[in-house]
Amino acid sequence: MSRKPYQPPMPASWWLKHPAYRFYMLREATVLPLLFFIGSLLYGLYALGQGEASWLQYQAWLQQPWVLALNGLALLASLFHAWTFFVLFPQVMPLRLGSRTLPAWLMVSAQWAGVLLVILALWWLLGGLDAHQ
Amino acid sequence: MRINKQPPPQTTPRRSDEPIWWSLFSAGGVCVAMLVPAIALLVLLGIPLGLVSAEQLSYQRLHALVFHPLGLGVVLAVIVLPLFHAMHRIHHGLHDLQLAHGRLAKWLCYGSAVLLSSLALSLWLTSG
Repeated sequence: MSRKPYQPPMPASWWLKHPAYRFYMLREATVLPLLFFIGSLLYGLYALGQGEASWLQYQAWLQQPWVLALNGLALLASLFHAWTFFVLFPQVMPLRLGSRTLPAWLMVSAQWAGVLLVILALWWLLGGLDAHQ
Repeated sequence: MRINKQPPPQTTPRRSDEPIWWSLFSAGGVCVAMLVPAIALLVLLGIPLGLVSAEQLSYQRLHALVFHPLGLGVVLAVIVLPLFHAMHRIHHGLHDLQLAHGRLAKWLCYGSAVLLSSLALSLWLTSG
């Protein structure tokens, strides 16, 4: 057992010191708009259960500029988070087809195709397609 | 005196609970990456900005969609799992920023995820 182990100082501002650390913190910061997004959905679930009047009230709340701005930020943050998440997948879990490894770009684009598919499916489910007929 | 002292008999090692939180975080991460862009774009922005038409998306229709039995899966995928994902990241973020570490921060983070998830589930169950 060492008598006096050296403990390097670690200031709370460590993440400002390197571009890679700053990028990491930016990615981690996307959790804040995500929390607002979850809060908006919880409020929406409550309003939907309360009746039509409270649902209309909720729609008016959604239309306020600051709510629109924060939910727009949540959309951008979710796309940024998705991008970092999708790029990780082929590195963490490379898929093999026979003796060949699937190229990373293919796995990343397949995941983006999944996002697009979910958007289209939800748009269809919410009646977006019929709106133009 | 014996040269090699035997280590004391080992008691059962304390199991880490991290796999539970990490699994929920990880499952939530998939949901966040795959589903949150669509919900944010089409519901939270799409309804107020008119990307989905208000006539098509009447209160009755949306109510029927959300409180359909399959809607429970949607609540799990877009509220409950993302909550555990987010609170796990906040727990570790507080540690990274040296704002809080230790038991209390952990209890507060995962406790609020559990509380808010129960709120979401009870809202869904009682309003259906």
